[in-house]
Amino acid sequence: MEDVKKNVPEQEHNEDEKSLKGTFASVMLLAGFLIASWAGVFLLFMDRV
Amino acid sequence: MHRLEEIWLSVSAGVLVLFMVIVGYQAFALGMGPPSHQETIDPQKVDETEPFDEPGVYETGENEYEVVMTLQAFSFTPNEIEVPAGAEVTFTMTSKDVTHGFQVAGTNINAMVMPGHIQKITHTFKEPGNYLVLCNEYCGTGHQLMSTEIMVK
Repeated sequence: MEDVKKNVPEQEHNEDEKSLKGTFASVMLLAGFLIASWAGVFLLFMDRV
Repeated sequence: MHRLEEIWLSVSAGVLVLFMVIVGYQAFALGMGPPSHQETIDPQKVDETEPFDEPGVYETGENEYEVVMTLQAFSFTPNEIEVPAGAEVTFTMTSKDVTHGFQVAGTNINAMVMPGHIQKITHTFKEPGNYLVLCNEYCGTGHQLMSTEIMVK
């Protein structure tokens, strides 16, 4: 019971905390893909105006 | 919240807002949205109702034309359209029977023409040439034959 109370404030300084760098890289890659495909279709549209 | 989470959430939200602002500005301020004219008409009286009692190509101003067109299975009336290069053409269309499509290849003209509704779409034909017009909404056994050409001189 005492452990539960101690764990909550210590969570952010825990050595075992999982890194989010890989997730961040993946999300940014996905964003790049989405921006590129959106821009591609947008440019096609503008070409035909 | 974790610093990286803050970053990717704000980037995603920012990208979404940017896309919506660009498309929204084009559609509402510049009128470049899809056709969705709201006038209605009695589909059984199209031939008697103006302006569809006289379909054709009309000159409405300096290099400005209006094509009043009726669509039926399986043709476009008028089926011969000729305009000069640089002409701004407004297509005013309705259907006499079922839902048809009106797509001009190589342009952004892509309208669904439904019975009971009048559809309007405007385009400036800058490049001369022959533009293929297709019906892209299944309308029956002759649907694949429903096409015409716009000749821009």
